[in-house]
Amino acid sequence: MIRNYFKIAFRGFWRHKLFTLINVIGLSIGISAALVIYLIVHFDFTFDKFQPDGNRIYRVVTHYSYSGQTGYNSGVCGPLAGAVRSQVTGVEATAPFYMLYQPNVFVPGKGNVPVKFKNEDNVILADQQYFKIFDYKWLAGSVSALNTPNHVVLTSDQAKKYFPALSYDQMIGKIVTYDTIKTAVAGIVETIKQNTDFTFHDFISYSTNAANATIKDQLQLTNWGSTTSQSQLFVKLSAKTNIAHVEKQMTALLNKNFKEEKGNTGGFSLQPLNDLHFNEKYGAFDSEHQANKTTLYGLLIIAAFLLILGCINFVNLTTAQATQRAKEIGIRKTMGSSRKQLVVQFLSETFLITLIAVIISIGLAPIILKLFTDFIPPGIKVSFLAQPHVILFLLALIIVMSLLSGFYPAILLSGYKPVLVLKNQASSNSSKTRNAYLRKSLTVTQFVIAQFFIMATILVSKQIYYAINKDMGFKKDAILIINTPWKDRSTSKRDVFLNKLRSIPQVDQISVGGNTPPSSNNTNSTEATYKDGKKETKIDLQEKFGDENYIKVYNIKLLAGRNLRSTDTSKAFLINANYARLLGFKSPNAAVGKQIDKFNGDKAMQIVGVVADFNQGSLHTPIVPIAILTSTSIYQNGTFHLALKPETADGAEWKKAIAQMGAYYKQVYPEDDFDYQFFDASIKKFYESEQHTSTLLTWATGLSIFISCLGLLGLAIYTTNQRTKEIGVRKVLGASVAQIVTLLSTEVIMLILLAFVIVTPAAWWAMNKWMQSFADRTSISWWIFAASGAGMLILAVFTSGFQTVKAAIANPVKSLRSE
Amino acid sequence: MLSLQHISKYYQNGGNKNFVINDISLDIDEGEFVSIMGPSGSGKSTLLNIIGMLDEPTDGYHYFVNEAVHQLKDKQRSALYKKYIGFVFQAYHLIDELTVYENIETPLIYQDFKGAERKAMVADMLDRFQIVGKKDLFPAQLSGGQQQLVGIARALIAKPKLLLADEPTGNLNSKQGEEIMELFRKLNKEDGVTIIQVTHSEKNAEYGSRIINLLDGRIESSKKF
Repeated sequence: MIRNYFKIAFRGFWRHKLFTLINVIGLSIGISAALVIYLIVHFDFTFDKFQPDGNRIYRVVTHYSYSGQTGYNSGVCGPLAGAVRSQVTGVEATAPFYMLYQPNVFVPGKGNVPVKFKNEDNVILADQQYFKIFDYKWLAGSVSALNTPNHVVLTSDQAKKYFPALSYDQMIGKIVTYDTIKTAVAGIVETIKQNTDFTFHDFISYSTNAANATIKDQLQLTNWGSTTSQSQLFVKLSAKTNIAHVEKQMTALLNKNFKEEKGNTGGFSLQPLNDLHFNEKYGAFDSEHQANKTTLYGLLIIAAFLLILGCINFVNLTTAQATQRAKEIGIRKTMGSSRKQLVVQFLSETFLITLIAVIISIGLAPIILKLFTDFIPPGIKVSFLAQPHVILFLLALIIVMSLLSGFYPAILLSGYKPVLVLKNQASSNSSKTRNAYLRKSLTVTQFVIAQFFIMATILVSKQIYYAINKDMGFKKDAILIINTPWKDRSTSKRDVFLNKLRSIPQVDQISVGGNTPPSSNNTNSTEATYKDGKKETKIDLQEKFGDENYIKVYNIKLLAGRNLRSTDTSKAFLINANYARLLGFKSPNAAVGKQIDKFNGDKAMQIVGVVADFNQGSLHTPIVPIAILTSTSIYQNGTFHLALKPETADGAEWKKAIAQMGAYYKQVYPEDDFDYQFFDASIKKFYESEQHTSTLLTWATGLSIFISCLGLLGLAIYTTNQRTKEIGVRKVLGASVAQIVTLLSTEVIMLILLAFVIVTPAAWWAMNKWMQSFADRTSISWWIFAASGAGMLILAVFTSGFQTVKAAIANPVKSLRSE
Repeated sequence: MLSLQHISKYYQNGGNKNFVINDISLDIDEGEFVSIMGPSGSGKSTLLNIIGMLDEPTDGYHYFVNEAVHQLKDKQRSALYKKYIGFVFQAYHLIDELTVYENIETPLIYQDFKGAERKAMVADMLDRFQIVGKKDLFPAQLSGGQQQLVGIARALIAKPKLLLADEPTGNLNSKQGEEIMELFRKLNKEDGVTIIQVTHSEKNAEYGSRIINLLDGRIESSKKF
């Protein structure tokens, strides 16, 4: 019987090729999107799910409040781990580890020449307990060796990299040196194949700190007052332990051992393992890929919308064609088919269509993955079909989609009364109005979705354009940023490099300093107190380090006073207008010459000048009080800000200059790689996630418009066919082509207007919500709505236009003769 | 075999009842060949549909092979119908997407016959109606007479006891019509199939063993030969 159904289904598809094509395309788009999005979402939501007892594993993180500002740190202070072990109850295992900053690794090579691996990442100091909490498979050696200093455990992949020729057992005992730490290989564990944020591959014994002064100094094992994110602590709680109770004990330890200054507080909290991959507040580790739950949910919504659009097309086109199938239904019923059998038959047709769409989607998915490489986490592979969960997902999708798009038409069609059908009064009359209502509301739904996407796309692009092109208070183009290497920061080498840079003719000016005016990475802030008579104003002040050229390179406007001089160090600085205003000065001039009494502890600083406000970050953050000051510390003077001379027409000068800079860099810092950044490019990077949103929205918009228009085209073809006779009669009675086109288009236009009325408030609300994340934002103009409404209208009229015009100019004699 | 008692069918139209069938009582025995005649709108087709359980009367009692049809549930009625009744239409009503072979096979599918069995039965039927050569053609490729032949083959495939035909020759020319009527007679005489046909044609009606004349939903006359 099923074979019979499929056979008739195939012949039906063949007879209505266009409708079948529309259905398949609509569904394939939705299903492809759903498949790819499923892969992404599944990927991100399965991180570290394989860890045994994962729900009892937590990371201890630090939160603090410092002169009114709250902050978060994914690390903890050095002594906490030891104290937790001895004094906190309810903890089964305590695993502190310390992430070394990109050491150079040496392994013995041929003829005593060591092989060097530069800047290895993911090297940590860890102890036995780490392997107690996290599940690793041991390939050689054992965990006990980590008890003794100067041992290291490697993952299998890393071990193969260091010792390509040896077996795992042979590697045991071999010497691996990390900068100055000399270790012996104690064990090999298998590299984790599942999705994990724990990508560490060198585990040096934690106890090495006892034997190595530098390490001991970094770990700060007795200092309760210093926290770095490099020092991490994981705990596994005993079953049924109350989290709050453990947190309280930990915070109590801190308060007992460290006296915070008045007004400042600090404490620890437990971050669940499954939060690690998503919580941006704390980050995963260093630069690991993290996922944003909001983005993932957004993607799911897009997938759902595209699927719904495909289903709607199917329902619309199938019910529109219903009368054509009425006869078959009548006959089958008189042949003895039950209603249930008919429902099964129609559902199996839907199933077949969906199956075809899924097969197409499987073919399309690798292409989509390639197209969206930017957004897609690198761990997602094209060989997705080999994973059983994907197959299960596709099966579930087929069933759900078949039911969603097939159920209503099946119920409707199977409900036809055979007597009426066979008397050629196909029950269109009785159910026409109801049916048409449903079709119309479905079409309106499609337009609502499509218009929502259009509006959102316009707004997001508008905001990005605004953010990138807004005058942020400084010059953006023709500025090059070069950092001196972090590991090799000496003043003398820097000055050698500086002089070499100065000799390059294309360089206009150079400022030596710290961060760029707007910087996404960490900013320095300190508390500053100003006394005006009795009144004391305490304000958190951001610091930007730069020399006298800093404001010249960036064209930051000096409103009053003078520029910095090299003699100003730790005596005087520039402030921005915002700070001057907050201190209560009526004009910038009034602030010049005044003294800030307590800066960075209790240094007194003179205000020598006031600069115009500029953005210190992306437009997400507001402008805050800032001081620009000189410093002698190499760590605050390790960045070159180069203003380049404008390029001439052929535009090769900068390229040549950069090549020259690279050559000089290699001379001064032979160990390190030259890296540079154009300032305007780094500003664009602030809006990377918005750019992604914009691209995704553009795709979603394009596809939803495409699917909706396909459906519209199908309906237009159907209605004009249905009304051929009516059109003929009207023409005979004297209607003009224009009148007929108007008659046929009115309905579509009304539907779009209705959709517009429905979607506008919803879109306005959603846009408003999105814009909240920007401190400085463009307006939600009325023309965004008008443009999207008008655009949709034009597209729709255009889509159905061909069909209506064709019907309107047809010769009425032909359509009327068919009787 | 079949007994209708005080069967009526009407539509409520404001305060009036519009009768299509007005209090008809009728008994038909196994082996009869009944022709129902009457002008347009006299209720012939409705009566036939009620007998065939495609339509339900508003009032009255309907017995078929000793079952009280008016008391049966849909499912039971459908089972009864499937087992005993075959239908032939004026407009043939073949399924356009199926071949001749598949059209004839369809009722068997709904009656849960096994594949091999179906094959044998359809082959037998094709043979009997001498349309073996046409089994892979679609309805649109056949003439009207051939289509009706397929329609009858389809109606007979499940070996019904009662064959209902609604103007089976209405769309055919006289020669084709005659052949169909001869076929009906043969079925009635040789195979013992009870036949009820609705017809406009006096000549075709005379193939039957009884002629019932309807007028305005009532039996005007009934004569047996």
